[in-house]
Amino acid sequence: MKKLFLRGTLAALTSAVMLMAPVAFAQNAIRIGIITDKVGPSKGYAEPITQGAIYAVKELNAKGGVLGRQIELLVEDDQSKPDVSATVARKLVDAGVVFILSVSVSPATQQAQSVTMETKTPHMTPSNSGDTLTTQISNPNFWQTGPLGSTQIATLLSYARNKNFKRVALISDNSELGQVTARFFKAGLEKSNIQVVSEEVVPQGSTTADPQMQKVRAATPDALFMAGVTTPENALVLRSYRQLGLKMPLLAGYNLSVPVYSSVAKGLLDGVAFVDAFDPAKPEAQRFIEAFKKDTGTAPYNLHGYGYDGIMLVADAIKRAGGTDKDKVREAMQATKSWQGGVMGGVGSGYGFVDGKRTGFDINGMVVRVYEGDVQGRVVHVGAK
Amino acid sequence: MNDFLELVVSSTASGCIYALVALSYLLITRPTGIINFAVGEWSMLAAFGGFLALSRFELPYAVGMVIVLVAMFAVGWATERVAVRGLVERGAPALAPILALLGMLVVFRELVSLSIGPDPQPVPPAFGFGRLELGLVAGSYQSFFIIVVTLSVFAAVWYFFERTLAGKSFEAVAIDRRAAALMGINLRRVTSVAFAASATVAALAGLLVAPNVSAHYLMGLPLAIQGFTALVIGGVGRVEGALLGGLILAFTEQFTVRYAPVAPGLAMGVPLVLLIFFLLLRPTGLLRAREARA
Repeated sequence: MKKLFLRGTLAALTSAVMLMAPVAFAQNAIRIGIITDKVGPSKGYAEPITQGAIYAVKELNAKGGVLGRQIELLVEDDQSKPDVSATVARKLVDAGVVFILSVSVSPATQQAQSVTMETKTPHMTPSNSGDTLTTQISNPNFWQTGPLGSTQIATLLSYARNKNFKRVALISDNSELGQVTARFFKAGLEKSNIQVVSEEVVPQGSTTADPQMQKVRAATPDALFMAGVTTPENALVLRSYRQLGLKMPLLAGYNLSVPVYSSVAKGLLDGVAFVDAFDPAKPEAQRFIEAFKKDTGTAPYNLHGYGYDGIMLVADAIKRAGGTDKDKVREAMQATKSWQGGVMGGVGSGYGFVDGKRTGFDINGMVVRVYEGDVQGRVVHVGAK
Repeated sequence: MNDFLELVVSSTASGCIYALVALSYLLITRPTGIINFAVGEWSMLAAFGGFLALSRFELPYAVGMVIVLVAMFAVGWATERVAVRGLVERGAPALAPILALLGMLVVFRELVSLSIGPDPQPVPPAFGFGRLELGLVAGSYQSFFIIVVTLSVFAAVWYFFERTLAGKSFEAVAIDRRAAALMGINLRRVTSVAFAASATVAALAGLLVAPNVSAHYLMGLPLAIQGFTALVIGGVGRVEGALLGGLILAFTEQFTVRYAPVAPGLAMGVPLVLLIFFLLLRPTGLLRAREARA
């Protein structure tokens, strides 16, 4: 009876230890938060970015984690709503995260900064491209590594320099990011002494872009620049472009780099030049594509790369900080220079926050590719020089 | 002139889509008084049905379309059974079914976003993406197809309401539910058929517009707003009102963008101004409902 009691006690203790082990592990883990969009308008972008981040954590943990500790990724959904974003940012801070990544829309990221500034929690968006995220609020705890709208247009103009455009048309959608991108496209064009002779907006939910494209046709521009970021409206623009028989060169922002266009705009893409932050021929990108495919069974594309690079940059900063003290992590992140451990950007490009800036995507890191039929062609131009 | 006529075709095609969504509202609102803002989500469901039937399983266009429309007829019927009938029979306030249907809107949208994903999906058009030119009049094959199908549907619905006994029973319910019930008209059946027919018409709108805008999980709400605006303009009382409202809305939208000297950002506010104008000055819409005859 006594033996039975001892055995029972031992078994109970063993079970308790086994049950507690994950708890102990979780307490020791480095917590990183990610604010994504699971149900709102940016879900289409936020999901693959988040998948890239989840994969990066898995890869890091498989190699022993960071500073000998595992990484735990806490995922929160802000539905692309700024007020919700601030709320979940606070929830993540309360949960003890060392760093927060925001991957939904720019206004939500902006609002979450109110919390990270107050709590001095390091915060970064690896994907948002609005130029104003680091300029509207002076938040030393926030960084942005998504390619800026101004970088996109500078890269496109660099590619088109020998084409000698004098008068161009600009078309966008009415989303917040679409409007911001169009504004920076226009500024870039005017800075290069190129006249914008027609500036059009296709509202979200439109059933055609014919009236806008008729105006473009009537303005007889040398080229048409697409700054829109919503896929259905961009597909409408491409459809009207073909239907109305337009022939001028079409140069598009990085939204056209999302592979979904090959199916929703099938037959409409040949010859469209688009700017991308991802070169599949880059060795780091190739390794990432293979490893991700092996792990998940699906091929990643540029959006997955943003999430992957975001986590890897954070892990690198924590490593250099030698711990999870938020002040030290902030200093380490700000000290990032020409970091080349990521998969995004052209060959040889890196991330860095030089001269106190908090935008880290290499301004010469974007590439231009041209659709060959419905397939995204090879890189034809690198950088904005 | 070429531009003008091109735009007439484009506006008519868009107006037809709005008109179908407005008709979808009207088919429920007339006999029941319920405004169903989930009609746009029915269009979205059908668009994804079109994606599965025509792109994924590559069924012939007519077969795929019929399958989707029949399925959506069942969805409309089931929506009434699940979300509306219980509330009406328990004497819930008039607002309750409208709120329940708003809940269904979220259910439909998330079902698609979780099961198929957030990426837009392609839906092929009936006759390819070619351009048809009839003298000076020109437009895409799909635009002409949308116009022909929509006009046929409106003719059929008009005939049903004006020339058939079943249609007149709907009209009787719309004029006076209690009197219609006393005359032996089965209110339950009228409500069920109204929801099922409404879902089928909304589905048709979704199938017709999807080749242009692709099937995506957020496409429902804009369609619901455009259809509702068309309904307010045309009037809830008459089938022709939905068509008229849709066409006026689309022509206003597109001709403002093309010809009015306003900034592109402001042009998109014109339909809203139109909506406010009608709500303030002619809330019954352009065409009034028939009154009960003494």
